[in-house]
Order: sequence, then structure tokens, then C-alpha cells
Amino acid sequence: MSLNIYGQILDSRLLIGSALYPSPQVMKQAILASGSQVVTLSLKRQNPAEKSGQQIWHYLKEIIEQTKGHLLPNTAGCKTAKEAVTLAHMSREIFQTDWIKLEVIGDDYNLQPDPIELLHATEQLITEGFKVLPYCTDDLVVCQRLYDLGCQVIMPWASPIGTGKGLMNPYNLETIRLRLPDATLILDAGIGKPSDACLAMEMGYDGVLLNSAVALADNPVLMAKAFGQALQAGEQGYVAGIMEQRQTAHPSTPTLDTPFWHQS
Amino acid sequence: MNIHINGKAYALGHENHISITSALTLHFIEPQQSTFAVALNGDFVGKTDYDTTMVKNGDSLDVLQPIQGG
Repeated sequence: MSLNIYGQILDSRLLIGSALYPSPQVMKQAILASGSQVVTLSLKRQNPAEKSGQQIWHYLKEIIEQTKGHLLPNTAGCKTAKEAVTLAHMSREIFQTDWIKLEVIGDDYNLQPDPIELLHATEQLITEGFKVLPYCTDDLVVCQRLYDLGCQVIMPWASPIGTGKGLMNPYNLETIRLRLPDATLILDAGIGKPSDACLAMEMGYDGVLLNSAVALADNPVLMAKAFGQALQAGEQGYVAGIMEQRQTAHPSTPTLDTPFWHQS
Repeated sequence: MNIHINGKAYALGHENHISITSALTLHFIEPQQSTFAVALNGDFVGKTDYDTTMVKNGDSLDVLQPIQGG
């Protein structure tokens, strides 16, 4: 049961962030415990003389080597297509990958993606050879447009980044799955607990991307492991075929020859 | 001329322009380092163009490095 991201076959369906952990050491332990082979990271202004960027880069390279995994740079903080395109090019030069987690934020309050700028940036980046993993809302038409532009992977949110509110609109997410059966769908952002991830997988999603839920747990390493197991459980449940809900109760114990049965 | 690197102002007396390679040294950056990338006035500039791309009065250079992200 593997995940296909632009032709790369991965053992784990969990994509994990590298931010907000209590320490770089805990970050490394948690990512390894999660089993994830895709780790997100970002670019920020820094003074290279401070060396802090080099330290993080060193840890992340170790993790990627150990897991035979992949880095997924993001365009966090961008508000226009132009900013995101520039940041994508800078990321590609540093990390030597065509993968880009495309974020273009349209509102500072809930960090909601700007669908118009997102589509513009996606179109340009695909033309320039990037493999775009767009972070978007759970809007079916936006997801369809992204798919039509050439995104093999689409990443609708569960709820706003860092809220831990879980799946706000299960109907929307199920509809996206139904209408885009061939897209690789990764649920991104807003995941709070392992059961949220399990639910996404039971819907037939291909994977989950999260950060805060693990990094802000009391025990990030244990939580990372729990998420890995939750994804497996949800995926197996989906593959096994979930029973139809029924309106009325049906006894599960056979009623034939039940002792003390009183025929009316 | 006056330029900005990562938002910090630099006043360069009699220069009309300097290369990105020279500008980076102002900001204590060794151009040989591999873990940073540059944008000039919001446009990406590849490493191979640092020597030939000029920074002029009023220009703004962004030098970015890896950081944790979600």
C-alpha cells in the first residue's frame, strides 16, 4: 500500500512538517517515528553568519538520508503568484527538487489560500517544469481547475493551518474524492488528532500532511507513531470496504433457535 | 548608492553598481556556500549569474536560507 507522488513510490502515506518542535532532536525523532518519507521545509530571510539555517539543514539532510525520503519545500508566507513563483525557483536551486508545496495565502486571519493567485502560480510553475503540490481550500471547482492545469497531486485543507479542528467539511472532501478519482489527494492542514487522519483515509484520500498535531503534542514522538498507525488503519478500512449504513437495527446474533424466544 | 539586503540598508559611497557576488560579502555571506538563494527586487537570480548581475541604487536583495516549515 504505497503512495505515488509524481512517479515517486513511497511506503508511507504521511507527509510531515519540520516546524514547531521543542528541539531539532525531537523533530528528528518524531519524523523518524512517523515513518514519513516526505518532510516539508521552507525558506526565510536569515543572516548566514548566525548558522542556524545550516543546523536545521544538517538535521533535515540526515533525516532524508536515513528514510530515503524527499524534501518538500513550501512557499509559506507568499501572498501573490509572483512571490510564490520566485520562492519556488529559489527552493529548486537550494534543494535540487522540482517538487513545490504551493501556498499562496489570501487572508491573514485564517490563512486561507487565495484561489486566483494559486491558479496563476500553478500555471506558470508547471510551464517551468515544477511538480506542483497545491495547498487549497475544499472547493471542488478550484481542485478541478488545479487538476486540469496538470497537478497530479492536490492538497485541500481539512481546516485552517494550525487550528487542529479536523475535517470541517466532510461532505466537500468526499465530493472532491468522488469527482477527481484519478488525482492523488492529500489532506493538508488543520488535522488535530489521529482519528482525523484515519477519517481522511477512510474517505479514500491518498495521504495526509500535518505538522502542528505532532509537533505540539505533549509527546511528539509518540504522537508521530500514533499518526502513522492511524493512517494505516484508515487505509485498510477503506480498502476492505466499509459497510453501508442502515436506518434500522439488525440483530447481529442469529435469532433462529434463540433460547426463551417467545413467538407472538 | 543605497541598497537593501534582507531589509537592512547599506550605503555605498561612490559605487554606481556592484555585482551580487560583491553585495553578498557586505552581508557576511560567503558566495561559496551552497545553502542559500537570491532574489533581486523580487526576481530569482541563479548562482551562475551572481558575477554578472548588477545591484544598483535603490535595489533590494533577498538572501534566503532553509528553515523549518509545515
